[in-house]
Formats: sequence, C-alpha cells, structure tokens
Amino acid sequence: MAQINMLGVSKRFGDLEVISDTTLEIKDGEFTVFVGPSGCGKSTLLRLLAGLDELTSGEINLNNQRIDHLAPAKRGLAMVFQSYALYPHMTVYQNMSYALKVAKEQKTVIDEKVKKAAEILQLSEYLDRKPKELSGGQRQRVAIGRAIVREPKVFLFDEPLSNLDAKLRVQMRIELTKLHKKLKTTMIYVTHDQVEAMTMADKIVVINNGRVEQVGAPLELYRRPANQFVAGFIGSPAMNFFSGVIKDVTTTGVHFDINNSGTSIFVKCPSADVSIGEKIQFGVRPEHFIFTKKTDQIITGKVYAVERLGGETYIYMSSETEEDVIVHCNGDREVKIGEKIDVGFSIEDCHLFNSKGWAIR
Amino acid sequence: MKATNFITIENLLIQIFLASAAIVMLYPIFMMVLSGFKTTPEIFMSPFSMPKKFNIENFQVIWEKTNVPRYFLNSIIVTVSSIALLLITGTMAAYAISRYKFRGALMVSLFFLSGLMLPLRLAIIPLFIQLKYLGLIDSLLGLIFIYTAMSLPATVFILTGFLRSLPKELEDSARMDGASELRIMLDIMVPLVSPALVIAGIYSAVPIWNDFFFPLIFIQSPEWKTLAQGLTTFFGEYSINYGVLYAGLSLASLPMIFIFIVQSRRFIAGMTAGALK
Amino acid sequence: MDNSSYKRAKNFRKLKRQLWLSFLLLPPALILITFIFLPMASALLYSVYDWDGLIRGDFVGLENFKKVLLDPDRNWFFFNALKNNVLVFISLMVIQNGTALVIALFLAREPKGARFYQVVFFIPVILSTVIIGFQWKMFLNPVFGLINKILNAVGLNEWALPWLGLPETALPTMILVNAWAWVGFPAIVFLAAIHRIPQDLIEAARLDGGSEWQIAKDIIWPLMAPAVTIIVVLTFIGSFNWFELPYIMAGLEGSPAYSTDMLGLLFYRTAFGSISAGGTEFGIGSALAVIIFLVIFVFSIIATKILVAREVELN
Ligand SMILES: Nc1ncnc2c1ncn2[C@@H]1O[C@H](COP(=O)(O)OP(=O)(O)O)[C@@H](O)[C@H]1O
Ligand SMILES: [Mg+2]
Repeated sequence: MAQINMLGVSKRFGDLEVISDTTLEIKDGEFTVFVGPSGCGKSTLLRLLAGLDELTSGEINLNNQRIDHLAPAKRGLAMVFQSYALYPHMTVYQNMSYALKVAKEQKTVIDEKVKKAAEILQLSEYLDRKPKELSGGQRQRVAIGRAIVREPKVFLFDEPLSNLDAKLRVQMRIELTKLHKKLKTTMIYVTHDQVEAMTMADKIVVINNGRVEQVGAPLELYRRPANQFVAGFIGSPAMNFFSGVIKDVTTTGVHFDINNSGTSIFVKCPSADVSIGEKIQFGVRPEHFIFTKKTDQIITGKVYAVERLGGETYIYMSSETEEDVIVHCNGDREVKIGEKIDVGFSIEDCHLFNSKGWAIR
Repeated sequence: MKATNFITIENLLIQIFLASAAIVMLYPIFMMVLSGFKTTPEIFMSPFSMPKKFNIENFQVIWEKTNVPRYFLNSIIVTVSSIALLLITGTMAAYAISRYKFRGALMVSLFFLSGLMLPLRLAIIPLFIQLKYLGLIDSLLGLIFIYTAMSLPATVFILTGFLRSLPKELEDSARMDGASELRIMLDIMVPLVSPALVIAGIYSAVPIWNDFFFPLIFIQSPEWKTLAQGLTTFFGEYSINYGVLYAGLSLASLPMIFIFIVQSRRFIAGMTAGALK
Repeated sequence: MDNSSYKRAKNFRKLKRQLWLSFLLLPPALILITFIFLPMASALLYSVYDWDGLIRGDFVGLENFKKVLLDPDRNWFFFNALKNNVLVFISLMVIQNGTALVIALFLAREPKGARFYQVVFFIPVILSTVIIGFQWKMFLNPVFGLINKILNAVGLNEWALPWLGLPETALPTMILVNAWAWVGFPAIVFLAAIHRIPQDLIEAARLDGGSEWQIAKDIIWPLMAPAVTIIVVLTFIGSFNWFELPYIMAGLEGSPAYSTDMLGLLFYRTAFGSISAGGTEFGIGSALAVIIFLVIFVFSIIATKILVAREVELN
C-alpha cells in the first residue's frame, strides 16, 4: 500500500519559485509520469518527495502519514537517477547491497535479496564488476536493482532512460512497464519525453513552469487537453494552431474566422463561455487532416518540405493565412514541393482555446 | 610535438644538452654516495676513483655511534603524524566547504584560503612564546601541530577542488540508501578522491620531511631532533671525517630518492600541485 | 502527528545538520587559528612593544621599525641583507628559471628519454636543503673538496679558489647551488604549461613555415604566461625566505663579511640572539618580520597584477 498526497506544495530557491502551490494525489500501484519541458521543475518535485530538497511550504503525506519532515531513507522510497549515480568504486554487488548494509541487515538476507534482484534484471553474471566495466543498459539495470533490493513503498525515476541510445530506450521502456506489472509497486517517473509518458503511464501529470497543467490518463490528455500547453505538448508532431476571431455564438457551438480570411468555421461546443469578437486559438493535430474535399472545413496551403519516413509522411506547408501547418499522411502519398494542396478535417477533431489558453468546450 | 624520431643536428644538440645537464644533476649525488663507501684518506687521495672496496664501516659508525637513527625515527614520526592529522582535518574542512550550502560558506572558505598567503616563519617569535605557554617547546607534538597548520590551507585548497567535482547525485543516492552524512563522506565521497589525497599528502610531506627551520628553533634535546636538524649536530661532531659525513648524507637522502624514483609520477604531480591549476 | 511534534522533528534535523557542519569545520579552524592566525596577529602587535627577553614592556609605537630602518648603527644590516635577497631573486630568475625554460622547451619536443630526464632533474628538488647545503659545502672545500680537485685536474689551477671563503664568490656560488637544486621545479611547471597548449596551434605554425625559435617566441611563450606568473611569484617568495642554504653553507652571520647575509638570517639573529646582534630582541625582530612580510606581500600583489595584465594582453 502506498498512496501519496501532496498538498499545496511549493519550493523556492532564493527568489526563484520553482514549484508553486501543487496539490496532487497518486494512487496505490499507479505508474505516474511527470512530464514537461526541461527546467519546468519535474526533478525538483521528485526530489521534494524523496526528501533530498526541503519544502518551502505545503505538506506531503504517504498513506495519510506526514513524511515531509523525515530524512530521505526514513520515507521508504527509492530513487533511480538520470546519471544512475552508481558508486564507481564498488562492485555491482556492493552497489546493490549498500542500502541493506547501512540498515544492518543480516549477510544472508542481503545476499538473498541481491541475488534475487540480479536475477530479475539479468545481472547475475556481472555482480563482481565495477560500473565502468558495464554497458549503458547494464548500468541502468544496476541502478534499478539498487532500488529493488530495498523493497521500497514507491519507486522514483528521474529521466532514467535519457542516457541510453534510441533502440535501448524503447527496449527499457517495455522492460520497466513489465517490472511495474510484476512488482505492482507505486512508481513515479519523470521525463521530458511525451512519447515515454504516453507509452508507459497509467496517469500523466503535465507540468509547466512549476505548475501542474493537467492530470489524466494518456488518451484523456490526448483527446481532451485542458489547455493549449497540454494540447501542444502531448502528441507528436505537435498540434497545429491557427488564430481566429469569434463571429457568432449559438446554443450548440461557435462560428469563427481563421485570421479574418473569411472562411468561417463552425465548432460544436455547447457550453462555450466566449463572446463575439473574442480572439481564440484553434488547433488540429497533424494526423487528423484528411485529403478530401467533402468536408466543409478546408485549409489550403503551399508545400515547402516533405519528410518521408517510409510508413508515413509529414508534409510541411504554409497556409493561405500564413501559418505553418504540419500534415500527417500515408507513406506513399504523392506530393511535390511548391504544390498547392487542400486538406480537410472534421469538426469533432478540433480544439478551441480562449485567449488565456484554456480549452473552450 | 612528436616531430623528432629521426636524427637531425638539432635533435643531436638537444640530446647533448640534456645529457650534460643530467650528468651535472646526477654526478654530485653519485659522488656523495660513492664517497660514503670510502675511508677518509681514500677520499683525499683518489677522490674520483671507485672505492677500493665497498666498506660499510662509515655506515656502521653512523648506526652505532651517532643519533642519526634516532633523528630518522623522529622525522618519520613527525611527518607521518602531521600528514595523518593534516589529511583528516583538511578533508573535513574541504568536505564541508565543497559539499554543503550554508550561510557564511564563502567566508569560511576565504578564511581557510587566506592562510595560503601567510609566511608562518615570520611569526616565529609569537609562536615560540605561545608554544612555551602550551608546553609544546622541545616536543614533537609542537612540530606536528605547526606543520599541520602550515599545510592546512593548501590541502583544503587542493581537496576542495577535487571534492567539488564529484556529482551531487552520488551523495543523494547514498542519502536515499540511508547512509548518514558521516558514512556518505567516508564510504562514498572520500574514497573517490583518494588520488587527490595522495597528491595533497606528497605536496606537504616533502617540505615537512625536509624542514629545518622549525626544529632549529623549537627542539633542543638530542632525543627529539629531526633528521634535517640532527644532521647539523652530526656535522659538528664529525667535522673532518669526510667518509662518515658522506655516508651520513647518503643515508639521509637515499630513502627519499628511492621512494621518489618508484613514485616519480605522483611526486612530480604532487609537488607541483600548488603551481599548476 | 500533531503540529508541534512535526516541528520538533524538523528542527531536530536542522540542529543535527548544524552540529555536523561544526564538527567538520571547528577542528581545522581551531588548528589554523591557534598556530597561524594568532601568531601572525601577535607578530604585528609585538612589533610596537618594547621587550625585555621574554617579557613584554611598554608600548613604543613605531620605535622598533625606526631602529631597523633608520638607526645608523644597525640599518646597514637591513639594507645589506635586502640587497642580497634582491640579488638572489634576480640571479635565480635568470640562471635557474632561464635554464628551466630551455630544458622545458627541449623536453616538450619529446626527445628520447624525456621521462628519464624529468625524473633526474627533479631529484634534488625532493632533497632537504640541509643535505644539499652540506654536500656542496664539502664539494667546495678549498683543500679537500671535489670542485677544486677537478679544476686542478683540468689545469685550471688559478680557478681553484676558496669559493665560499671570498666575499665576491660566496653568494654567487650559493646561488648556483640553489639553481642546481631547484631547476627541476620550474622546468616541470613550464613543461606542463607547454603541454597544455593545443597541439594544432603549434602544428599550424610549423606548416606556415615558422622556425622553431619563432614558434617558441610567438606561440609557446605567450601561451605559457600563467605558469610564468606563478614561477616569478614563487621564486620571489623563495628568494626572500632564503635561510637554510646560507645558514648551512656560510653560517648565521652571513660570512664572509656579511656578503651572504639575508633578511631571514638577520631576522633570526635579531630575534634569538647571536654574536653580532647580542641577546634576543623580540620587539625589533617582530618589526623586521612585519617589514619582510610587507615586502613579500606587496611584491606578490604587484607582480601578479602586472603579469596577469600581460597574460590578458597576450591572449
Ligand atoms: N539547487 C538549486 N538551486 C537553484 N535553482 C535550482 C536548483 N535546482 C533546480 N533549480 C532551478 O529550478 C528549475 C527547475 O529545475 P528542475 O527541477 O531540475 O527541472 P527539470 O527536472 O524539470 O528539468 C530550473 O530553473 C533550475 O535552474
Ligand atoms: Mg530534471
């Protein structure tokens, strides 16, 4: 059982507020991913949980017991660092057993636990090696092993895969998910990579500028981003945005005009809180464009670059209203640079955001 | 600059220069050792030849009739204790300065570094009075404290640089593992700077071992004299017995030369540590 | 958990941290204060008091300084010693450091045996000045010493002088001995500085057809400026702390005829008494110490300033 509650947590370094008034609940057994751009405060939030940095205000509870006054080791959490932070002068075995040794566990118990963790992580052959004699992936597994042997209530991961090459990263992603299924322990995972977040998380916490932007399951964030930041951050390539002005508000939705171009578009949003003349942002994901003239909503643009990945193709074009647009399509679609093309989309797939960036629904 | 694997006039001249310089450096040391195996008349009659036979009488005289072995022992005691105390206290200060943020941290590090610029020899008078007051005159303990204090700023300086370069995540990781601050320092961080400890140790050990000034002033009893200082007494006693004198000098210098040659890389790195950033 | 015990736990952690930091910092600070800062500060204080042996007398202001610098009966000693120290510094700069630079430039070209040469040149550096002083004193003995035996053997009989016995030759001889003992140190420091110069700079200059001399002058020399700064300052400090070598080779009185007298020897004689200076004079000795300290300090600051400015200019 491990369930975490953060209440009004904030952290300042001198005058710089890095985490502001964050309230968050993490349920038992959940794989939670903190995602956000570099420097947004993800690591800091994790370090506050771990007890490596001290709160400026707020409280942290683990299973309804306050823990933010406890020393890191007393909180029952284990952390895997981005650089792995393996002790360079100790063997794999010594690295993995250090915490238990400090806790004065019996030698036989230590041995059993280390061997078991080594087996899970396929490290049994390497127990006598020093970290510098291991490959990147193996070091990574030692770092995880060091956490496992402590049998923590919660695992904390700080960008653990970012030092691995692309192929290994995909592999480790799957292994970590498997590990979570096997151990069923609560895990909190920090990354700046939204692909990692989407593929691994039960629940994603999107952070920006020290604030939580939205919390939800991966597809929920993808389908119903609460604001323009989340809409732009989740999904790859990023959502296309067009600025527009509200022309009319009805009970079922709004009519608006892209960049005063005269093409009026209607979007269903029965509870919209907007007024005529208000500036809005309107977003469509690259993968939601369709090559048909049967929809009402058409955007015309001139192609300036084409990226062919084989299975799929990305078309970069600039629209008549002079906005950059990325369009996703099949690998074998014929397009030429300089060509003028029309792309359509269905109004179910678009998102509106008011001038403050909040979603209009 | 490896431009020079083939023979040119230039390279030849360089070799000649370096080789002659090497002879100038080595020959006096060689002669000193060689003369230690000669009798005094032999030194006068045939100074340049090899000894007729390598007799160790001179060395026996030193071993049996002089205080030189005692001086040796004292120098070892003083150097080893000073370096031990120095590395312990120096590591403590450097660790606090380099691994923690606290109010006044800058002041504290300036405090330790300012000692770098103070030539303690010039404060010998107050030091003398102070040691007298503390009962540390004519005692090895007094020397040990002085040497430790004298070498502390440079040691803190060298160690701070190395300790600072260790990643913070290492320390955090040990903290998560439940290690106390003391254990983090002793189990994790200090072992990782052991090369720096060697460098800092050598940097201070050589001048301490060789020092003559402080014992000259603070030590009077023959039984507490250190090697460098004791040699002057010994020279007074055997002023015309050149064989014994040369043997004494050889005995005093050979251990150091031997250790140096075995560990030359570390010694050179250590002794120039203050001059190279 | 109620609020007060939560606060207590938090404060306890803070206290523990403060205790730990104090534990780390206090012992070394105490050693430093007791054996460096306190005596240094006292030296300053002592210099403005009259002393009767070990007993402090009246406050006398700058009287002791006046005695050192202005008293016609004794100020000759100060200026004579100062002159000798300056002479030592200049000679060592030229002879010792000049040779060291040549050695470093040659070693930087990685001739065969470069590593061996480095070790050889460094051997005397690790030896005690006492050993070196005695060894050379014996070699230089006019009757029994090796030096004159060699000179006689090669037919330079009129050169076989009592080198340490003549006022004209005693100091130069000692300077040469010092250069012999220490040349390895600046050589290694210079060599390390040269090794730090990016190889491609030198290669490029070579490809541009620069002679070895031009490369040394225009590329290597300017880029090793920081090492030069350090060596100049260290040589100055070393020269003004000259004590052991003249003490061993010429005695406490700077014989012959004070031609090898140094500020360090004068200070020692004044402080602890001798034939020429009479009994201990702690007040005057302290004043002398303060003056010597100021000379070294001011020079070091000025030299560093000038030399660092030169470094900036060159880079
Ligand atoms: N110890 C610290 N002192 C001062 N500022 C810090 C400290 N640690 C982090 N910061 C600042 O806090 C912000 C968030 O850092 P971090 O949590 O590491 O970001 P992320 O992990 O999301 O990339 C950054 O602007 C960083 O510069
Ligand atoms: Mg981070």
